[in-house]
Amino acid sequence: MGIEVKLAFDLLAFISVMVLIVLGLGIIASMMGIFNFAHGEFVLLGAYTVYIFESSGLSAWAGILAAPIVLAIVGLVLERLIIRRFYAVPIIAMLGTYAIGLVIREIVRGLLGGHYKSISEPLPGVFTLFGVDFSAWRAVIVLTTICIIAATWLFLSRTSVGLQVRGSLENPNLARACGISTSRLYAMTFAFGAALAGLAGALIVPLYQLSADIGTRFLVQAFLSVMLGGVGTFEGPVLGAAAVGGMAAGLPWLVIPVLADPLVFVIALLIVKFRPQGFITQGRL
Amino acid sequence: MLTDAGPGLGAAPARTRIARQAGRSQAFRRVLPFVEAAALVVALAVPIVLSERTDLVTLATNVLILSLLAISFDLCWGLSGIMSFGQALFFGVAGYAIALVGRDLEFSQLWGTLPLAMLVGLLLAGLFAAFLLLGRKPPTSIFVALGTLTGSYAAERLVSGWQYVGAGNGLSSVKLLQFGSYEFVEGAAFYFLALALLLLVYAGARFLKRSQLGLVLAGMRQNEERLAFFGYRVQLFKALVFSLAGMVAGLGGALYSYHQGFIGPGNMGPGLSTTAVLYCLLGGSGTLIGPVIGTVTVEVLSYVLSDIDAIKQFWPVILGLVLLTVVMFQPKGILGMLVSDRERIGSYGRRRGGR
Repeated sequence: MGIEVKLAFDLLAFISVMVLIVLGLGIIASMMGIFNFAHGEFVLLGAYTVYIFESSGLSAWAGILAAPIVLAIVGLVLERLIIRRFYAVPIIAMLGTYAIGLVIREIVRGLLGGHYKSISEPLPGVFTLFGVDFSAWRAVIVLTTICIIAATWLFLSRTSVGLQVRGSLENPNLARACGISTSRLYAMTFAFGAALAGLAGALIVPLYQLSADIGTRFLVQAFLSVMLGGVGTFEGPVLGAAAVGGMAAGLPWLVIPVLADPLVFVIALLIVKFRPQGFITQGRL
Repeated sequence: MLTDAGPGLGAAPARTRIARQAGRSQAFRRVLPFVEAAALVVALAVPIVLSERTDLVTLATNVLILSLLAISFDLCWGLSGIMSFGQALFFGVAGYAIALVGRDLEFSQLWGTLPLAMLVGLLLAGLFAAFLLLGRKPPTSIFVALGTLTGSYAAERLVSGWQYVGAGNGLSSVKLLQFGSYEFVEGAAFYFLALALLLLVYAGARFLKRSQLGLVLAGMRQNEERLAFFGYRVQLFKALVFSLAGMVAGLGGALYSYHQGFIGPGNMGPGLSTTAVLYCLLGGSGTLIGPVIGTVTVEVLSYVLSDIDAIKQFWPVILGLVLLTVVMFQPKGILGMLVSDRERIGSYGRRRGGR
């Protein structure tokens, strides 16, 4: 039974990684209706922040704390300068954010010199539970993800700012008429989404080596997760990420790995095709 | 500010006749035919002027081939408003198909393989169009964009793990393109072959744009819902143009494969797809000649700058900044500065005086 538990745990850890990445993307897509192609690069910047902290002799934990803050600032600046021009034209927004992502990715690639950097886990080792060994760092990721989901959900459903967010999602014009500054909310939302991406990057970089492409490998899966779950909801993208993450980690056990990867995309696209509104219907954030 | 199609057809009623003659009214002067003629003259002169420098002829041939990809994207975005992030998919798959035919069947006759590549592109794009565009509910544009992106990405991943097609290394030393016993190697002959095919495709696309179908497409870009209420099956038109665009991309992919002697997973991934987007938007989408100019600009600059080591490393950064600048400040591209909106969109009826 040990192997099954371990498998389930690995699956859970991968799903957590997916959820962490998708959450920020989903919030931005729900709120502003744009799919942020630079999201993978926000993840990369989060990972890179940890790398800078570690290579300059500071603790990696400090880097993990700093990454969301750095990314929130980056996100805020980008939103004010560029992204806000794209809210009316979601297709052009894809191109614009893709260009931003390309610029960030290639600059970081230049800074890294094309090398892979491995970052050691801040909490190394394993712990044993019921005779099964679990990786401590993966457990940290799972716990952090659960905390973040809970905190975000509480923030959206229990605070007055959360109420404003839900209101502007449902009817931006009415929200503006009620004196809510949607433009400020959008800026905050984008910064928040970027911060989540940064945190995700900081947490996953010990699992994967740091390279310029660390974020892009998740990007398409993350988009599909958001569409699968349903744009405009909070639970949707989380569920979508769980489904896609579960498939991506589980399918290689069922079919040959070469086919597993594209098969995830095909299945996800098929579901979206026949249920375009997503798992959760719109308007329930 | 960022609409693709500009202000639309204006008040001129659309008639069945196509206004072909230039400069019929004083207030409105056509620019595009001059740009097209100039481009043709340059294209014909290039191999003669550069006959000493074979590397430059190779570059020019490459530009022509990539222009096919750019035109194929323009058919999707500029003409029918489909944002395809996967145009390279059809390019790459057709390239792989003819490379495999060359390797396994030892066949590379021009009259057989090029139509085969076009057929592959057409069928694959048709399949994608049927899945993404057709159906009971009209799809959102986001779904189509992400669907094409996913297809392109999935294909790249599949191919880079598939030993039969060379996995990550791709297929190299593709059998040379033959006509009878003549083999097309890099050089002037291949250049003129590519030019002839590009001209054919261009003429076809130009005809399509100015035909009645083009008029419907222009209306669709303007107000898709209204056209649907008129009784046009909007998604069917889109699917048709998307399939034709796939055919053009397939032809380009086959030529690319023969010309480079190599085709790899990168040639069907989102990277090349977005490069095609850049070609088209930089040159000016919807004008057909714009994408060609965009391709020339990007590829020639890239060739010149790759000699300078300091810039070479940051060339992708520059490309990204260019793309960002174009979508933010000049969505009509280079040609948008020369060509009026009215001409960019095309006129379909007999003009009644100046605007």
